[in-house]
Amino acid sequence: MLTTTRRKFLAAVSAAASSGLVSLSPQAPGFLCEAAAAGAELPGDRILVVVQLSGGNDGLNTVIPYKDEVYRRRRPSLGIGEDRVLKVEGDIGLHPALTGMATLLENRRLAIVQGVGYPNPNRSHFESMDIWHTAYTKPQDRAAGWLGRAFDARRQVLAQATDPPAMHLGPENQPLALAARDVPSPSIRSLDQFKLETGGNGQQREAIVAAAKAPRGSASDLLKFVQTRTTSALEVSRRIEAATKDYKTPIEYPGTDLAQKLKRIAQLIDAGLATRVYYVALDGFDTHSDQRDAHAGLLGQLGGALAAFADDLAAHMQLDRVLTLVFSEFGRRVEENASRGTDHGAAAPVFLVGSRVSPGLIGKHPRLDDLADGDVKFHTDFRSVYAAILEQWMGWPAAPILGEGFAPAPVLQS
Amino acid sequence: MSLTLADLRPADAWQRFEPSAEQPFNRRLAAHLYRRAGMAATSRELDEAVRLGPEGAVKQLLSSGDTLAKFDQEMHKFAQVTLAANNPELLAGWWLHRMRHTPAPLVEKMTLFWHGHFATSAAKVREAELMLQQNEMFRRHALGDFGQLVRGIARDPAMLLYLDSATNRKVHPNENFAREVMELFCLGLGHYTERDIQELARCFTGWEIQYGHFKFNAYQHDEQSKTVLGKSGKFDGDDGLAVILDQPATAEFICGKLLRFFVADDEVFTPEWVAPLAGKFRESKLSVAPVLEMIFTSRLFYSEAAIGQKVRSPIELGVGMLRALDATTNMVQLANRLRELGQMPLYPPNVKGWDGGRTWINSSTLLGRANLVRYLVENPDTRFAGGPLEQLLDKQSIKSAADAVDRFAELLLAVPLAADVRAQLIASLEQNGSLRPDRLRQMLHLAGTLPEFQLA
Repeated sequence: MLTTTRRKFLAAVSAAASSGLVSLSPQAPGFLCEAAAAGAELPGDRILVVVQLSGGNDGLNTVIPYKDEVYRRRRPSLGIGEDRVLKVEGDIGLHPALTGMATLLENRRLAIVQGVGYPNPNRSHFESMDIWHTAYTKPQDRAAGWLGRAFDARRQVLAQATDPPAMHLGPENQPLALAARDVPSPSIRSLDQFKLETGGNGQQREAIVAAAKAPRGSASDLLKFVQTRTTSALEVSRRIEAATKDYKTPIEYPGTDLAQKLKRIAQLIDAGLATRVYYVALDGFDTHSDQRDAHAGLLGQLGGALAAFADDLAAHMQLDRVLTLVFSEFGRRVEENASRGTDHGAAAPVFLVGSRVSPGLIGKHPRLDDLADGDVKFHTDFRSVYAAILEQWMGWPAAPILGEGFAPAPVLQS
Repeated sequence: MSLTLADLRPADAWQRFEPSAEQPFNRRLAAHLYRRAGMAATSRELDEAVRLGPEGAVKQLLSSGDTLAKFDQEMHKFAQVTLAANNPELLAGWWLHRMRHTPAPLVEKMTLFWHGHFATSAAKVREAELMLQQNEMFRRHALGDFGQLVRGIARDPAMLLYLDSATNRKVHPNENFAREVMELFCLGLGHYTERDIQELARCFTGWEIQYGHFKFNAYQHDEQSKTVLGKSGKFDGDDGLAVILDQPATAEFICGKLLRFFVADDEVFTPEWVAPLAGKFRESKLSVAPVLEMIFTSRLFYSEAAIGQKVRSPIELGVGMLRALDATTNMVQLANRLRELGQMPLYPPNVKGWDGGRTWINSSTLLGRANLVRYLVENPDTRFAGGPLEQLLDKQSIKSAADAVDRFAELLLAVPLAADVRAQLIASLEQNGSLRPDRLRQMLHLAGTLPEFQLA
């Protein structure tokens, strides 16, 4: 099916469905059911974009209590004063490199959730990242991530899908958050290289698809796994090639890696892919030494990319259905170290970007005169942020994914 | 009949594999051994391995490092040339060249293992010479004493720069290296406390890198007593390491990792599976070769619980395909192509190294793998036994398409082809029932996109 036609067609189906004209039940006309199944998730459904800050972002120098005595004392070389912060409200300001975020805030598109963490913080990158990815604080089950489990719960719907439920863009390993038992999501290094080369030989392409699909009598689990992934890779690459051919945007994105990735995601969203989750990472936040310039560079990249992305989505009338979550595996020690850097810490702020967020600061800045092992204490469990995203944004029940006891944090407009 | 892990008990699994009429040590098992203990084998090497039998072939793999002098000299000379450009990417190409041509494949495979274990990335270190020094250290101790490797890495300029641990002052001990020694290099999670990390960090105070060299700065060393894992004393770094190396958890951690690296990705080897291997490791005072010998001569290794139960790493795929087809190509280009697949040598993703197993596989890398195979067979820089691809057919006296498919499958695939797929490959290589050598490239490209090709 031609992409643009398909998109309009499905939008029409979607409108019809939501207006109650068709329930997409077995009584609905066959072609509509088929169309819905082809998208599995209908275009128009809400989308989550996750931006992971890898290495442990220094939350204290991101959302800054610039008047705090303890802050000034513990950060003799790294501290940022009142004259340089971008003021938010009260005694809180943003890092001066975060001009992009300041713009988002002005446009009421940014929620800053302060003091997010979990009990008994783990200061190993890998452990703490796994905790955020699985939403389990004990290493009981690291086989599937929080989003992957949500996909597993919807596997019957997703089994009909031609688009994967999630897509990870980037060179790093697939984030555990997306790992599911039954539903594969692709990791795509770069969309430009995401195609099967055959030198224009269509027959060879067909032969490859046929050989990948051919039944294997007694395949091991591992072989079955590779076979499913191979057939899905061939299918998705064909769809993306078709979907992104003629995208235009009036927004000028920064040339940074993160901005270019988000631009690609805006393209895929606008192309009407039924993918519900996109995942990207920005690495380099493990600033043990000479933090100042490195951290400023990273935050500048982050803010610029998020602002351009939101503008682009708005220009394409897509912002209302896209929520972006920005998190890191932990914050950093309150006291800077002897190398003008900071060591692994605990709680930190989380950001949400979109037109439906509850804008501004959410929750208090953690106290700097009440630390645990030199780190600020959390007051908002990250799973209550996940709960809000799952329940209130994606419309998926949170308790089966996260367990009981995590009431949605007030991060979205009701 | 072949066994799966469920049929085996640890006690049986670690017994020596004895070839039998039911399970002879044939080319398929020899190819399995060479895929795991090296980077795959040529047809000739397989014949030789079958002649030697499993014990002889393993013995040869374990001892071939002793006769490396001439090859080493030549490789060292090549390395010096690449250093002139101070571009670690060229050095990555050099290492692939070395893996492709080495007469001691197990040494190279273990060098790669240690590189992944003590992962250090040239993306941060930037100095090709320091990366080479580290690489040569891994190779020197590849099958030897694990303790020496750990003491070596504690002084290794590339590693300490990579972990931001080039300075370590007593007023503010740098915990980064100490943490990784415990979490990633020796013990594994759960065998130490945060307090142990802080104490071990104190042992390493004064250990510094200055101008690319290790220096002990006595002025910055904390002379006071430390307590690491219950042992106390006025420890320096080596004393701290000795305490850690002596922990049973260290032998278990390393042997568990070797099991996953050499035997199977998915199997969860519970402590009772690892214990006999860890026992051997401790008995040999943490010498690696006896552990490898135990793995490669075990019933477990030649069971269906192991054969085809690993995902090929990108390096194994690229270098392995070249070795199996006796081919050569532009290795710097290959190194950069491997980056796209997630495993450029000298550029691991983080200090944890490559996760491996199923994480190698996703839509992007699968297309990349297919495209890499096409690149290798279509690229004019690639030579097969010194000539064009088609001559491989003559060299192996292959007369029919079926014969060609079966011979190449034996060299390239760890698991047998399904009948339909085999028929499709044969059909792609013939016309009106006769062999078309000019279609060999396409057939190999097709074979290289098969799910089976991704397994080792």
